[in-house]
Amino acid sequence: MTMHPRAADFPQSDLPGVIPHESELTAGVRIEPGRSYGFFTDTTVCIGCKACEVACKEWNNLPADNLGLTGHSYDNTGALSANTWRHVAFVETSGCGGVRDTVEAPFQSGWLMMSDVCKHCHNAPCLEACPTGALFKTEFDTVVVQQDICNGCGYCVPACPFGVVDVSPVDGKAHKCTLCYDRLKGGLEPACAKACPTDSIQFGELSVLQARAEERVAVLHERGVPGAYLYGTPGAPGATGDLGHLNAFFLLTARPEVYNLPAAPTRPANRVAPSLASGLAAVAGLAVAAAFLLGASDRRRS
Amino acid sequence: MTTQYPVLTEGPEPGLPRPDRASGAVAPSPGPAWDGPTYYGRAQLKPAPFENAVVGGYIFLAGLSGSSAILAAIAQATRGEEAGPLVRRARYTALLAPTLGSALLIYDLHTPSRFYTMLRVAKATSPMSIGTWILMGFSGCAILTAAAQFAGDRGVAPRAAGVVARLAGWPAAVLGAGLSTYTASLLAATSTPLWAAAPRALAVRFGASSMAAGAAALALAETDAPTRRRLETLTAAALAVELAGDAAAALAYRRTGVAPATRGRAGRVERFGAVGLGVVLPLGLYAARHWRDRAGRPEDGRALSVAAGLAVLAGSALLRVAVMGAGDDSAARPDVSFRFSQPDNLPPGL
Ligand code: SF4
Ligand code: SF4
Repeated sequence: MTMHPRAADFPQSDLPGVIPHESELTAGVRIEPGRSYGFFTDTTVCIGCKACEVACKEWNNLPADNLGLTGHSYDNTGALSANTWRHVAFVETSGCGGVRDTVEAPFQSGWLMMSDVCKHCHNAPCLEACPTGALFKTEFDTVVVQQDICNGCGYCVPACPFGVVDVSPVDGKAHKCTLCYDRLKGGLEPACAKACPTDSIQFGELSVLQARAEERVAVLHERGVPGAYLYGTPGAPGATGDLGHLNAFFLLTARPEVYNLPAAPTRPANRVAPSLASGLAAVAGLAVAAAFLLGASDRRRS
Repeated sequence: MTTQYPVLTEGPEPGLPRPDRASGAVAPSPGPAWDGPTYYGRAQLKPAPFENAVVGGYIFLAGLSGSSAILAAIAQATRGEEAGPLVRRARYTALLAPTLGSALLIYDLHTPSRFYTMLRVAKATSPMSIGTWILMGFSGCAILTAAAQFAGDRGVAPRAAGVVARLAGWPAAVLGAGLSTYTASLLAATSTPLWAAAPRALAVRFGASSMAAGAAALALAETDAPTRRRLETLTAAALAVELAGDAAAALAYRRTGVAPATRGRAGRVERFGAVGLGVVLPLGLYAARHWRDRAGRPEDGRALSVAAGLAVLAGSALLRVAVMGAGDDSAARPDVSFRFSQPDNLPPGL
């Protein structure tokens, strides 16, 4: 990306305050309410530096989860949780049985790395499940938990098809990525995207990101990476089962399961009506049986 | 997805315990359902952070109360005064959900002091919200019915009390039907594979089990022998419907590939406790009692009836707790969740 002309207005390293519409300078996008924003995570340029994890923890004041080693390659974070809203997955494709090869073909990488995050689903299952309205769609088309309303019922946790949102035992509330709602309100690019040194995480307006991602897939196919595909764009894997699309979508080069992503998630709310209707039908049938049985007993007895 | 995917073999170590998880759930090692790659065998979904005994207990009480309200209204309408004691007992039993049940629900919240935030919205996409309002409506009607019953029994305006109890009893019965089934829809409308795999069958099981529990509980307390027979026949009919639901669910689990999640402890409780003890055994006991009746020794059958009734109640409670536990198992197993979230399990047209 070339430098934004306005960047020249701020040459000093000590700024008196926030630069107005700073995201224009850092991400090339002006943040305005009423539009759809999201992340495009291009895993082919991820170097696994975890700068996004750190930036997220710092900005959102999140405590550490597990201290220690998992033994799962360089992934010592493990999974997204109430305290971890970005998680870099490490997959070693050379070697087998979890044991790394000691030799590597020249100019080939044996790594797949992906920075996972809340997908900010279009028809977000967590939001549809939330009985308090704590989860809501913001003016930037992102999905956020209102901490002053959530009562920790925990229903959003099994609702999420990606295993993202979690209830913290510390404060008894649900937590997940807010797509830096506070930063967006101040015209700032989300912390993880701003910190990403390779632009593997790109923040922007959804339609622009989707077009950019399509181009990137075409370029990769041309360059000899035929396995590149998008996960979470309309009609692609991950955006199945009436979920619409994912505002945080990914460019992957292996099966979704390799990155711990479901190939074909569904929208749980579609199961409400069928189950309610069949249950009520069964009970209604038995109630009719009860009416016959109880009503008949007079005559039978005499 | 037309391209060749590299295949990763599973990592050697089981997933770490996650002490930061509210449910404290630990991912078990992968099994046979999905034999493609997983991410070090780590869970892909998060199990619900519910306490299964607490929420399962609520679901049981909700079913028992809901069906009691239904039976109270039906007995009152079909038998009138004659069924007085049965109707009274049923109306009081319906108080279990508004009292003990609600307490269990609030206890299970991770921020119980904010239970009232449930009442700030009503959402058709959330069975938990639907259920909140069903429970609120049911509680109002059931408490009014029981209060009128109580007043009438004490001789306070008996005529007016009878009318109030009858009038409030009908909405209580209708909402009771919702109360005994919405819990299945609550579980089905999640991404937990086992619950999502059979939304219809699960609701039939829960609904029928509720009716069986309500009828069995009232039969246990019934002193009038012919009425007890009718209630026991109704219990047996409900158990038969539940058994059909059990079979349909088992088929759906196999078809969608989530069956391996039922091979754990919770699954065994479901098979032997909920179905064996709670359905098959009582059906057998009722049949045995029926033969004794036929043989002209009706009083011999009383012990069989009592045993059957208790087994039905225990089985109904176990069904809920076991289904919740098996669901958690299915969410924690990436082999099951990945098998379930394959395109062949998408609803038609999507
Ligand atoms: S990924 Fe999960 S937590 Fe994020 S919006 Fe979708 S359903 Fe909600
Ligand atoms: S835990 Fe909080 S955010 Fe999640 S569904 Fe319950 S009230 Fe909503």
